[in-house]
Amino acid sequence: MAVISDGADVKTIGIPRALLYYRYGTLWEMFFRNLGRHVVVSPPTDRAVLQAGEEVSSDESCLASKVFMGAVASLIGRCDAIFIPNYASASPRMGFCTKYQSATDMAANTFREQNPKILSLLIEHLDSQREVEEAFVDLGKRLGASAKEAKRAYHAAAKAQKTANELWAKNQEAALKDIKRLRHSTGDAPITILVAAHPYIAHDPFMAGPVLDALKEAGAIVLFADEADHGHTYKKSFEFTRTMPWVINRELIGSILMLQGQVDGIVLISAFPCGPDSMTDDAIMRCIEGTPILNLLIDAQSGTAGIQTRVESFMDILQFHKKGGYLHE
Amino acid sequence: MSKEAGKQANAKADGQAAECTGKQADKAVGRQSGKRSRKQDTAQTAKQAAPSSFLSSLPRKRKGEQLIDSKAPESLQWRIAVSHEKRPRPLLPPKPAKPKKDKRHTATRVAFFRYGYYDPCFKYFTEQVLNAEFLPLPPATRRTEEVGTQNSTDYVCTPFKHILGDFVDALELGANVVVQFCGPCRLGYYGELQESILRDMGYDNFRMLNFANGLDTNSAVGWTRECLKQVNPDINVPKAALKLIPLTHMVAHMDSAYDFYLANAGFEQESGSFDLAWAAYMDAMAAASDEKTIQEAHAHGMERMRAIPLNKPENPIRIGIVGEMFTAFDPRSNLNLDKKLLAMGVEMHRMMNLTNRFVHYNEPNLRQSAREYITYDMGPTSTITIAAAKKFAAEGFDGLVHAKSAGCTPEIDCEPALMRIAEDYSIPVLYLTYDAQTSDTGLDTRLEAFYDMLAMKKQKGTLR
Repeated sequence: MAVISDGADVKTIGIPRALLYYRYGTLWEMFFRNLGRHVVVSPPTDRAVLQAGEEVSSDESCLASKVFMGAVASLIGRCDAIFIPNYASASPRMGFCTKYQSATDMAANTFREQNPKILSLLIEHLDSQREVEEAFVDLGKRLGASAKEAKRAYHAAAKAQKTANELWAKNQEAALKDIKRLRHSTGDAPITILVAAHPYIAHDPFMAGPVLDALKEAGAIVLFADEADHGHTYKKSFEFTRTMPWVINRELIGSILMLQGQVDGIVLISAFPCGPDSMTDDAIMRCIEGTPILNLLIDAQSGTAGIQTRVESFMDILQFHKKGGYLHE
Repeated sequence: MSKEAGKQANAKADGQAAECTGKQADKAVGRQSGKRSRKQDTAQTAKQAAPSSFLSSLPRKRKGEQLIDSKAPESLQWRIAVSHEKRPRPLLPPKPAKPKKDKRHTATRVAFFRYGYYDPCFKYFTEQVLNAEFLPLPPATRRTEEVGTQNSTDYVCTPFKHILGDFVDALELGANVVVQFCGPCRLGYYGELQESILRDMGYDNFRMLNFANGLDTNSAVGWTRECLKQVNPDINVPKAALKLIPLTHMVAHMDSAYDFYLANAGFEQESGSFDLAWAAYMDAMAAASDEKTIQEAHAHGMERMRAIPLNKPENPIRIGIVGEMFTAFDPRSNLNLDKKLLAMGVEMHRMMNLTNRFVHYNEPNLRQSAREYITYDMGPTSTITIAAAKKFAAEGFDGLVHAKSAGCTPEIDCEPALMRIAEDYSIPVLYLTYDAQTSDTGLDTRLEAFYDMLAMKKQKGTLR
């Protein structure tokens, strides 16, 4: 099995730029750097990465998963070991899609011929600070560090991640304030759009990139639902749903609830066929009333032209809507 | 309901616009808003059975074939919802008041979804543990499927659609409470979303015993509270808890009996004798109400099945079924896969059942049996799928069938491991993906081809 337990001789660690990298990237990179490792992150997604992923994945797996496999493929041969953590969901209200739980073994089986070394860790309860810390300390020990060194590396990395998250949230708040001020002083502001999508979709230049470009081209200000205080949005989501098991979707919904009054429209972007989104998009489309919502389901074939027309027509609706549009009696 | 909601499609949108405008037009009229429009729409569908879907995504419906065809030229799915009243509402209405204790307890009718042969277990659980009335559901009809499919999102997993249809059937037959389970995948969110959809469809007067509630602290305590709250506030908890023990025995017995059926029913001398025996066994189990009657029913039923004369060759074709909880197991979900294979005269084995997944489930140890392929627990049923596949392959089975619902993430992720097992043991694997459009004849063709291949391979003796 390619998942290694002893990584003392691993000098360069590769991290696929996909899935949870967009949520925990800083943490992972800093952790390995603090332990004196060289970190290689796979290149930003493009058509070639996706194609490499598509070749080795099942047709039915989701777009994000294909991109992930492509990212892993691009790291083979460029590093001593690839870091594919295992985030399982044993906490009923703070879980993840099972994809992050199976990613490690899926990659190990898919690339068995090339046999890359895979470095992993297991986090079952995300809400248990201690378990998360222990998992990283254990990983540090396997990399040959002492418990103390590993702990120090983890704490520094966790702090860096926290700072990064706070920075994003702060930027977003500042932007919102500016828009409010503008609206107040001039009576008009550019159309503000809240993009709600998993971070690995929203911030991936290949997946949500065309949508964001189209929005910006049409003159919209784009805010991201995942760039808000996670604790806050997570708590807020319980007002909407009691039993939703996925933490990322919870944060997105909480963010929508919090920012709904301050934006003109919401764009939900999902990768086809995303498991959690197949259920939450439905709930959002049905229950979040009062703000126009565009739901885009992207897959490997959705061309930019198609996206552009949809976004344009949505922007048209928003313009009309803002002026007191044709939807009123 | 002052609010208007309409869907807007811009005729500029290429290609699909032509096919979607017609639909959009009647949508703008048909869709007033949330609750009421759903009511109207269901009334319509019931009458005309026209595919006037309301909630599901619009411009273009994916057909079964297209779903796996990744070479479709333009496959962007999209929809827009517009409304102008600021009123975000929670998915479900606020919690209802706690029911009063009632000494003269009126029977609550409880219905489960249709799931394999477990109706006797559900009945026992309702009558003995919950002390309520069990409402058995008749076999699913075409309408069940249609209502379920039309009211769910396109790409949600197929069991969700089936169960939604089941609940509509149950509510129309007079159920007060419907029961939904929970799990670590999408199954954990079935309950709340289905309840919300049902209420939006206008089925207001029901409660849902949703085992995804009550998980926040201790599941045993939470589930007990949920049962007391939703079904019957007068349950004598210690007594009811004791009655769960015979229930586990009942499940285990039924599973072992069905395993025997799967292994032998393909070789009966007189066709239909196994089905008769199985029906009698089910009846006896459904009548059982305590440990003693359960054991008796099992003993008699097994005696009867063992007595059936067989025509079994020395070395029959053996096929192992692996896959997720619904599609690999439930005959409605997999279009009677069991019966179809048995009719070809094969010996079938399947590890996936409630006994192996819940009563005797020891994930770390099971995973250890397939450690060449998996390091971690990959999902709710992944370990059992891979461990079973490896076990069957190592035992020299002739073929494996992997059955899953379309879009089932955990099972899709098992496929790389299954492919490795197939390579290492050179065992053919038939991958079956079911969605609401999967056709019976399509399945027949594939199964026949698979059987012919196995039979030829066996004749040539190329198998290990």
